Amino acid sequence: MTLPAATPDTRIVVTLAEEIVLLLLDEQNESFLPIQEAAFKCALTGAVLMELAFANRIDTDLEALMVIDRTPTGNPMLDRILERISDHAETSNTHQWVETLSSQEAIAIREQAVASLVARGILKRERRFPGILRTHRYSKVDGVAEREIKQHIRGILESDDIPDPRDVALICLVDACNILTDIFPRQEIERAGPRIEQLHVMDLIGREVASTIAETKQAIISAVRARAAHFEKRLLGFAIVGSLAALATLVLPRVPIPDRFGPGVFELLWSDETWKQWSGYTLLGLSVAALVVGRFMKTRLVVGLKGHDWWPLIHVGLGVSCVLVLFVHTGFRLGANLNAALMGNYLALLLLGALAGILINKNPRVQRLGISGRLRRLPVRLHLLVLLPLPALLAIHILLVYLY
Amino acid sequence: MLQKTLLWILGIVGTLVAVAGVMAWMTIGGDREILLVGKTTDAHHQIELTCETCHAAPAFASPAKARRALNKTCRNCHEAELKAAKDSHPPGKFRNPRMAAYWEKLDARFCTACHVEHRPEITRTGAVTVPSDFCVACHSEGEQDVRVNRPSHAGLPFDTCASSGCHNYHDNQALYADFLVQHAGQPWLAPDPVHRLSAQARAGGAGPDARLGRDDAVAPERALRDPAVLDTWAGSGHAAAGENCASCHAPDAGEAAASAELEAHWIETPDTAICESCHRWQAKTFAQGRHGMRRHPRIAKPRDPHRGLAALGLEDWMPPTAIAWFTDPVPPRRMSVGEARPPMRAEAAHQTLHCGSCHSPHSADRVEAAVEACTSCHDDPHTRAYFGSVHHALWEAEVAGEAAPGTGVSCATCHLEKIERRGKIRVSHNQNDLLRPNSKMIRPVCLDCHGLGFSLNALADPDQIKRNFEGQPGTPIESIAWATRHAADNPEEEK
Repeated sequence: MTLPAATPDTRIVVTLAEEIVLLLLDEQNESFLPIQEAAFKCALTGAVLMELAFANRIDTDLEALMVIDRTPTGNPMLDRILERISDHAETSNTHQWVETLSSQEAIAIREQAVASLVARGILKRERRFPGILRTHRYSKVDGVAEREIKQHIRGILESDDIPDPRDVALICLVDACNILTDIFPRQEIERAGPRIEQLHVMDLIGREVASTIAETKQAIISAVRARAAHFEKRLLGFAIVGSLAALATLVLPRVPIPDRFGPGVFELLWSDETWKQWSGYTLLGLSVAALVVGRFMKTRLVVGLKGHDWWPLIHVGLGVSCVLVLFVHTGFRLGANLNAALMGNYLALLLLGALAGILINKNPRVQRLGISGRLRRLPVRLHLLVLLPLPALLAIHILLVYLY
Repeated sequence: MLQKTLLWILGIVGTLVAVAGVMAWMTIGGDREILLVGKTTDAHHQIELTCETCHAAPAFASPAKARRALNKTCRNCHEAELKAAKDSHPPGKFRNPRMAAYWEKLDARFCTACHVEHRPEITRTGAVTVPSDFCVACHSEGEQDVRVNRPSHAGLPFDTCASSGCHNYHDNQALYADFLVQHAGQPWLAPDPVHRLSAQARAGGAGPDARLGRDDAVAPERALRDPAVLDTWAGSGHAAAGENCASCHAPDAGEAAASAELEAHWIETPDTAICESCHRWQAKTFAQGRHGMRRHPRIAKPRDPHRGLAALGLEDWMPPTAIAWFTDPVPPRRMSVGEARPPMRAEAAHQTLHCGSCHSPHSADRVEAAVEACTSCHDDPHTRAYFGSVHHALWEAEVAGEAAPGTGVSCATCHLEKIERRGKIRVSHNQNDLLRPNSKMIRPVCLDCHGLGFSLNALADPDQIKRNFEGQPGTPIESIAWATRHAADNPEEEK
């Protein structure tokens, strides 16, 4: 598509990959929207392959994705991928190319797209913490580009007009990657459901190009699903372990301290002040780490670190570790008075977090439970709600140790 | 977005307010019950909200400093008692650098090595919070290895040292080997069983010169109208000691004052301070025991919230209702029966403990105070079994004048220590003097009537205690036999 530039008589050509970068830019936080990394990578890979299909450089069939014209397109990003596919000796199908390119080229595609947008004055990139971390702050130069693309897509979704084939491809691509709801309000997308279905089956381009686009789309859908399923399975496992461990703390009787003098582990764990401090501060450290990672899940703060896919897994993993260290710290003892309140609050936080990890999981087994969306999101909200008093209770708990 | 921001603001503000509020409770004043980290021991539950009584270290003191301060407060209340018991393991003994090897095992320089508060789960008899075989720490190797020093102990498990009636950590006055040998072979009952100090106490009294009669009573006209009160007073120890009505009801007026002056100074219900002005030692010992420990002078006083708030410059603009939040709840200076942890009579729950609880003020009847006063509140098996026991029968005979003074055994005979000083018998009102461990009772009480063997066996048998010593004790304690055998085998050591 073309975007209005600073002067009305010049038009800037933006590739599908650049459009996706612009769409996924969160101007408020000056970073990318916190979407699943696999989806982001697949979307960028798909955008490049679709772009090559539109330029009549590649064709697909059931068994292979092949180059039909090696002539460079003039866009360095497209040409690099075109060259790579051309030089590839073995025959690979679309699905395999999506897998390969999304894992090996997606970051480079994104960087090239960003660089291209920056070079053309559409995007501004600044170091967030100069000289400390390799993180960047992104902002649009005039804010027009993103609004323009969003409004354009919204217009297509809300009208019955026949859209441009590239727009159809873009919408189908972001929908295939399940990121439409990250860009537009959920209700808006639910309302536009029939129109999106209609766009998916729309035949606006030549048969060869259309089949390549469709093939690419299918490959992306299956790649995104496969990665998500793998990830969701691990997440579900962690969440189940976490919830069982938290329940055990709540239900199982305290582990007694043996009535035998000597350097017993249990006696050290639950009687020795130094050990209690170590286990307590470890628990505090893990809790703070879980909180920070929880924040990362919502905002992509550090680009250089592992992708967003890992944050929920790390978050739930930290939760499980917290339950284990909580056992080391307390031995299933629930405490008295304010300590009991802290223990109750902490266990509620862990249980609700684990429950949220189970219910919002996209694993087919969980999906088959048929729990409504609102009910699935309830533990997440409660998880955040019970987090509110935790810092105060923790601070009082620590103060009590040092004041008395 | 707005919702999220509000939630964040709520969380941060709530956290700050909650932490500031609790900090203020900790440092300025206020009810700190919710801050208790665990149930307090039976010994300290009456004073658990006066945290500074024990937690005397300044805030954020180093662990070493906090421990020293905490242990110092133990001695504030318990030092005299331990000194009187000739403590076998005084902390000072372990401060010797030669004892350094033992510090890592069990740091006996500090009371808190064995007695940690707020840990009900590991709190054992005597508020001990180390495993019951703690003797193993020092007496299982080297020159202190008891299995080498005493062949009779070779196969004994360490958890029986203190639980079998043989040893105590602090008070071994009735348990050490020489004492056992000296009292070996005594019959279970003395031929003439009389508790000597009780006999002396009951036989004593004021001389005939001091005794006042009913007609000697000096009081305003209206106070003299009740003949029953006058009769009771005339028969009391107070009258026998020459103490007139005004001594207690108008101490500021003086006995020779005119009726109008007496009326002006008359106090209808005198406070315990009046009793304490004469019975100082009794009041002092009362405050050392469970019945009166809230009055102990070393118990921390409630904090002054005005001082704390003034230091922060908050006093002037803080409304009185807010200041009330920062006011320490003042536990009643008198313990109530309802607050007690041992089984008590439900109908006595409202009663508080002061001089008048046991001593009817006009009669000052020590007979009533020795049994009825106790059993009107206590309702445990030992107390209930007293009635109908041999001890009770002997007491009734003595009270009826059918037996000699000192032959009866009341609650006070065993639980309130009598001390002879300058020919006079004084009664310690610290019931704990002879209670924990119960072997403290052997020398000053049991041995007057019973042999040491029987006394040891009886006090080591929980069922016998429940039966109030009716019948014979169960498994005999072998310590006397072992001590005599050891003495016979090692005559040189004895010399």
